[in-house]
Amino acid sequence: MRKRPSITTAATAAAAASAVVLASSCAAQTGGGPGGEDTVRMAINGWVGYEASAAVLTYLLENELDVRVEQKQIDEQPSWQGLNDGDLDVIVENWGHEDLMEQYGPDGNDTVVDGGPNGNKGTLGWYVPSYLLEEYPDINTYQGVKENAEIFRTPESGDKGEFLAGDPAFVTQDQGMINHFDMDLKIVYAGSEAAEITTMRKKYSDEEPFLAYFYEPQWLHNELDLEHVEFPEYTEGCADDADDVSCGYPEYDLNKIFRKDFAEEDSPAYRLLDNWTWTNDDQNAVAEMIAQDGMDADEAAEKWVEDNRDVWESWIPEGADN
Amino acid sequence: MATTTTPTTQPAGPDRPAGAEAPTWREWAANRWIQTGIVLLVLVIAGALPYVRAPFPEATGVWLDQNLNDLYSWVVSNRDTSPIFIYGFNYLSVGLGSSVVFIDDMLQALTWPGVVVLGAFAAWRAAGWRVMLVVLAAFAVFGFTGLWNQAMTTLALIITAVGLALIVGIPLGIAAGRSDRVQRALRPVLDFMQIMPAFAYLMPMLLLFGIGNPAAAVATTVYAIPPAVRITAMAIRNVDKGAIEAATSLGSTKWQILGKVQLPLAKRTILLGVNQTIMLAVSMVVIASVIGAGGLGDAIYQALSKINIGRALEAGLAIVMLAIAMDRVTGAVGHGAHTPQIPERLRWWVLGGGALATAAAAALQVERWPSEWRFHIAGPVNDFSNAFESAVGGVTSTLGAWLLEWVLGPLNSTLTGAPWWLVVLASGALGWIFGGRRVGITCGVAILGAGLLGQWDRSMDTLAQILVAAVIVLAIGVVIGVFMARHDLFAALLRPVLDAMQTLPPFVYLIPAVALFSAGKVPALAAAVVFALPPVIRLVNDGIRGVSQQTVEAAVSQGSTKWQLLTKVQLPLARSSLLLAVNQGIMMILSMVVIGALVGGGALGYGVVFGLKQNELGLGLTSGLAIVCLGIFLDRMTQGRRTNA
Repeated sequence: MRKRPSITTAATAAAAASAVVLASSCAAQTGGGPGGEDTVRMAINGWVGYEASAAVLTYLLENELDVRVEQKQIDEQPSWQGLNDGDLDVIVENWGHEDLMEQYGPDGNDTVVDGGPNGNKGTLGWYVPSYLLEEYPDINTYQGVKENAEIFRTPESGDKGEFLAGDPAFVTQDQGMINHFDMDLKIVYAGSEAAEITTMRKKYSDEEPFLAYFYEPQWLHNELDLEHVEFPEYTEGCADDADDVSCGYPEYDLNKIFRKDFAEEDSPAYRLLDNWTWTNDDQNAVAEMIAQDGMDADEAAEKWVEDNRDVWESWIPEGADN
Repeated sequence: MATTTTPTTQPAGPDRPAGAEAPTWREWAANRWIQTGIVLLVLVIAGALPYVRAPFPEATGVWLDQNLNDLYSWVVSNRDTSPIFIYGFNYLSVGLGSSVVFIDDMLQALTWPGVVVLGAFAAWRAAGWRVMLVVLAAFAVFGFTGLWNQAMTTLALIITAVGLALIVGIPLGIAAGRSDRVQRALRPVLDFMQIMPAFAYLMPMLLLFGIGNPAAAVATTVYAIPPAVRITAMAIRNVDKGAIEAATSLGSTKWQILGKVQLPLAKRTILLGVNQTIMLAVSMVVIASVIGAGGLGDAIYQALSKINIGRALEAGLAIVMLAIAMDRVTGAVGHGAHTPQIPERLRWWVLGGGALATAAAAALQVERWPSEWRFHIAGPVNDFSNAFESAVGGVTSTLGAWLLEWVLGPLNSTLTGAPWWLVVLASGALGWIFGGRRVGITCGVAILGAGLLGQWDRSMDTLAQILVAAVIVLAIGVVIGVFMARHDLFAALLRPVLDAMQTLPPFVYLIPAVALFSAGKVPALAAAVVFALPPVIRLVNDGIRGVSQQTVEAAVSQGSTKWQLLTKVQLPLARSSLLLAVNQGIMMILSMVVIGALVGGGALGYGVVFGLKQNELGLGLTSGLAIVCLGIFLDRMTQGRRTNA
């Protein structure tokens, strides 16, 4: 039995497939596409708090302004490049990054603008589980950590105490602090926030000591009781030398970053994002629904929006058809 | 992350004939192991003596790092103005981005009933009804996990990347098949592309093409091209010489020979290359989500950031199903076994019928997969993994601590403790012992290269981790492989498990590994072991099953015990498969170095990840290149004097 070469069969099938796709996509277009004309492209940086903010904003943009939102999962640094290249319109929760502002802001490429605070206060720093305080009452100060560094020893850190670091994308000055205060600590890089949190959870459930880089607002604080370790307060210039940092982290007023052209277009979508500010509690409420209750981000956003009309009503720009 | 035939080694070729006059391999090996022992002994002693420690000179590394970082700054400030970008990369990037978006939009416009009908019809027409069932099962998984749209985005990205890979790869492969010079020139480039960790070139891609689909498509293409080129070249080379001579004597031109003789005869093998290209592209889309590719990879990433293992597994299963469906379709087209026989005169009618059915399904305009048709396995999976962790967590912690203290630690301090030049010399010597003079030089230079890139300490740390993982993989792999070869039922049960293990993105089991071992080198090691086991098990199984039945029967009739049969007959005769297993196992472990850094593997992998995430092109690239150096060293070492693998 002679068989027709199967590559021809495949080609025929592929041709048929594309013909059908083309035909039906024409049909779909005449039937009207989804949403309005506008699209906002929003960076999604990899932590749940950010995602919570983005989810609520996306929900409001789509349902109140009929604007399509394209979320793009991307790390902090490349997000700025995305704004610069015109691939993204907004970062909704930015932590510092003065160097990037210099590079892409008005004094550099002049392609991004500071969109002002989003209302969230960011705390970075060192954290220990609060059960350690019973035995080591001053473990929540840098002196206490320095004196008791040996309790943090693990097989991974050898003869020094282990300082657990998180996602490599995050802003850090830990090695400089360890150097300056001459602490017997070794940084173990967890490599991702997920790995860090999993490790903290494991040690917490075994009531083992640990010392880790962490931050607020963060939903894990509702699950684990963590103590912030006090360092000398941040002053201008104390962290300029990365190898010798004589202070703790500064407090961050988290802000929004816009693509310059997007801001100048002054669309209703931009105005909503510009008007938006909320508190750490607001963000945590949504983040918990996502991270702990396992809800999809859009479901969590919908629930929060339904329950908090008074909070978000003022964000909707005037004249927007509701 | 799927491929057993990852040809980091070139396909079995006759270019290295067995040493004709060599002594029997038994004497030779005995000799070799003694030599190896001496080299290692010197290294251990030198590593234990603290005073000989001399750090690798930093000059070249610092210079390289500085220049790469300058290059980065230049690109950042000139991307909007330089003609290279305005007239070059930006066009490419827009083109690629739009083609992904276009395919994605078309799939969305078809709506899910349309895609299901079209996919089922095309699969049936091209590969028969069995494969159609597999395709339908894949669609069912996409829908029931609520990941339909993500799956379509991933599919669009794969179609674009594979298309691009084939457009570039097949002509290159044909050229390499017809000319030895092209082949020789391409080989190191392909080696390089396969050993360079994908993470390490994500950043240059970002720089050139911006975030999102264009960069993801190019990165995926780069990752997926090598098998297309290699297998096409091999296919063209294997075409029967007689057929070509016959055609030449009939006066065919070069193009006629290519089009009428070589390509048709090489078709099946080339389709195997297409299949491998698709498999690599599938495995790459998860990594590409790091630079904003979206789709299923993104779903895994998002689930991980919430430490929702169950949800990550759902998305992982969707990728496994996508890979299996694409594998079965291209595989079936390749051997053409079950394609339905349709009489010539009915062909257009069948095609029209399929098109009509698809259009009808699309016209229903059912946009969303009904949400009540969703089954979430996330909850039970999370419960199970929590229960599992608390049941064995204590044991694994102890095991992990032991491994760190007694194995990884000492090995690492031996490698970093010994003077660098001695390690370089020892690497060269080992290469020489296992593979001859040229291999020895390559091995020494490769290790030296890691130092010249300014990554000496990290490289030694990574090397120590790879070696430990390799020993564990081989120990487990050989035992399971032998068992599999001896028990058909076990083999039948194990095969689908191995299939799934090979296509399941490693991201899915990273977090469970951390939950068992705490962040650090040990979970990274565990993940690498899981990833590298399937090909090792398969190769051992194949090797032992390949031993001729008569030989086995002869040994049994002479009264060999089962153990004697295994150690004196089966394992020695399966030697080439075992050596290939060693090589493939190590290369798979190497490919997990960067991924392991996401759970605390540190060293070179961390350099790559940190470089990508903090925009440090210098650190990212030099770490990536140092991994390539280690890869070349390990590959050449283990390929050794392999005779007929």
